[in-house]
Amino acid sequence: MNTTVRQLILLILISAGVLLPSFSFSDDCTNIDEATFTEKRRPFVCFIHDEHNEKAGLEEDCALCHHTYEEGKLVADESSEDMACSECHAKENDPKQFELTATYHQRCRGCHLEKKEGPITCGACHKKAK
Amino acid sequence: MYDIYAIITGPLAWLSFAVFLGGSLYRFISLYQLARKKDGAVFQYMNLAYALRSIAHWLTPFGARNMRLNPVMTVVTFSFHIALFIAPLFVFAHVVLLEESFGIHWITLSDRVADILSMVVVFSCIFFFARRIMRPEVKYLTTWVDIVILIIVAAPFATGVWVFHQWAGFPTMTLVHILSGELMLAIIPFTKLFHMFLFPFTRGYIGSEFGGVRMAKDW
Amino acid sequence: MTDSTAVPDKGTDDQGILTGVEQLSPEKIERIINEVLSSETGAKLKVYVDTCVSCGLCSEGCHFYLSRDKDPKFSPAAKVKQTMWEIMRKKGKVSPEFIKKAAVVAYTQCNLCKRCAMYCPFGLDIAYVLSVMRRICHRLGVVPLYIQDTAHSHSVTGNQMWVKDDEWVDTLMWQEEEARDEVPNLRIPLDVEGADTFYSVIGPEPKFRAQLIYQAAMIMTAAGEDWTMPSTPGWDNSDMCMFTGDYEMMERLKKMHFEAATRLKAKRIVMGECGHAFRSVYDMGNRALGWKMPPIPIVHAIEYYHELFSQDKIKIKKKFDRPVTLHDPCNIVRGRGLHEMARSVVNSTCKTFIEMTPNREHNYCCGAGGGVINCGPPFKNARVESTKIKAEQLFAAKAKGAEVVIAPCHNCHGGLEDVIHHYGVDMELKFLGDIIYEIMEIPE
Repeated sequence: MNTTVRQLILLILISAGVLLPSFSFSDDCTNIDEATFTEKRRPFVCFIHDEHNEKAGLEEDCALCHHTYEEGKLVADESSEDMACSECHAKENDPKQFELTATYHQRCRGCHLEKKEGPITCGACHKKAK
Repeated sequence: MYDIYAIITGPLAWLSFAVFLGGSLYRFISLYQLARKKDGAVFQYMNLAYALRSIAHWLTPFGARNMRLNPVMTVVTFSFHIALFIAPLFVFAHVVLLEESFGIHWITLSDRVADILSMVVVFSCIFFFARRIMRPEVKYLTTWVDIVILIIVAAPFATGVWVFHQWAGFPTMTLVHILSGELMLAIIPFTKLFHMFLFPFTRGYIGSEFGGVRMAKDW
Repeated sequence: MTDSTAVPDKGTDDQGILTGVEQLSPEKIERIINEVLSSETGAKLKVYVDTCVSCGLCSEGCHFYLSRDKDPKFSPAAKVKQTMWEIMRKKGKVSPEFIKKAAVVAYTQCNLCKRCAMYCPFGLDIAYVLSVMRRICHRLGVVPLYIQDTAHSHSVTGNQMWVKDDEWVDTLMWQEEEARDEVPNLRIPLDVEGADTFYSVIGPEPKFRAQLIYQAAMIMTAAGEDWTMPSTPGWDNSDMCMFTGDYEMMERLKKMHFEAATRLKAKRIVMGECGHAFRSVYDMGNRALGWKMPPIPIVHAIEYYHELFSQDKIKIKKKFDRPVTLHDPCNIVRGRGLHEMARSVVNSTCKTFIEMTPNREHNYCCGAGGGVINCGPPFKNARVESTKIKAEQLFAAKAKGAEVVIAPCHNCHGGLEDVIHHYGVDMELKFLGDIIYEIMEIPE
């Protein structure tokens, strides 16, 4: 993706973020970046943001997931709630989004393994509809 | 669970790859050196064209008379071997893991196809097992090692299907799946499973003998 | 049908094996086995034994298994299981009793015909593995009595049948004299230097089938061949030592044979209709002596006859008019691919040719080869019982009208004679040479 387009999208999203009332989290699943995955291979992960963060004690630590990188370096104390993960981690022309998928897996499972808490096997997150 | 997972996806995974690659390499080198020392004639009679001719016939379904005499076995054994290689290498979940660990990925099978291929492997193993205990000529040759190997080969595929369909207890099965896959890989160099690497050589050699010296077909 | 009572599978009464086993101790067995394994075998044996996945698919390749109502003990892999698998697994720590049984399996339940190599998906050469077992038995002195006697004859006389040097020359002169009644100027030229063709036969020809030498002389003369036979040892191309596992003697024998031909500066060796002798000069003996291919061109009788007919060197009065079928001997078909040439010769000489099935490389063995028939009477009944499938094949050819079986191999003749007699097949057995002699125009 070239920089101009990326910046443009960023601009639009930021405006949207400013214009719209702030994100309203609830008990519903957050289907993160759903639109990016044009070819879905697994049941979408039902991520309940507030519930997860409450359990994980992450209410104050948004930047753990919503991190910001500048020139390849993590910028401490700066978060990026207003951005979608795919804005940086997605690849164009990859309907299966291998890179983005790997990013999610490493983020979620990495933390779960470290904390010894939460699901780690494929099916524990990608639950089949009963 | 977390510690076990960490061990079997970390050190054990590396260990199984290492044992598989290192063990295979060791066996290859030692067999090659032994052949150089003791079976010099083998190198004299080895002939690439005739070796490939023989291998081609035996890799073609029904390409040899014995395959035509045993049609069911031929269909099962070909489907089994094809599925055995294709499924683990191209199943989506494995390719994603590859991306996670090494940043590379390749084409993937649709879930439906991968599911069918895995079941082909499982049912083939059941067929082989039945054959081993029901056909007298196979039963006579069968030892407990053969049965254990059959179970080790079937296990990763059976558990794979289990985990994919998220049947009861699948999180634990995921661990069994990974562990049994590693076990299968690790025993290849030291069991009859090593035939996967020796096939081209044994087939190639008899093909060379029959083609180059005996001037006869060997299929 | 007098010899049809089944011999119970319990043990053997062969005196060669029994006496040999009496002299064994577990220590000696272990020592000899490990000597053979470490000095004479290598990766080939290891790979053959390790690669077998015991799928049992080789069974279909074995006439013993098929003839014995699919008794699993007779499948090729089962014979390896009863011999070398066990030996390699136990690293030679096996009992004299084990060696006794293994000797019976290796010497009398496998014709080393290599058909199973074409049925094993991996192409494992089971005949080779059983040859190693025979080699071990030879080194242990546990060899069936009758075949060991032929091996002794080889050692003493250089031929298989205790034929003395003067008897050999005498037999040739006798056949020459007989043949001169038919063709006054016929010669069996002895020791002619620089002849095109050095003709060699197997020991049993002068001993039992001298008329074959007569016929060969007739054919050579009619074809105007520049040929010779040696008056000295080396005339016998046969080799039972190859089958007992006495490879040192095999080497000596092949050396005598090749040297007899090269001493006479012959351009090539033409040999009679024998299979095992061909294996010995073209496959095993030459290799043991370090020759990748024979040091001097070897032409089997079938190849030679083919040459005669394709180059019009011989005239026939009329074609043999009784319907014939052709037996494909293992050592010249799976051993040298002569099956098409054989068919061409049959079609040049016979009016009606009826194929047996399966044929060519897939033909069933006669049951006699690999030295099995040479193990003699103690094993005859068991051997003939193991050729039921061959009898069925012959009956099928007979049902299609075949009256005569052509078997261009001495061992096959011996085996098929027993098959025909025991199962009451009632077909006549002939060599190709018999037919050619019968129909050819006798030279002036």
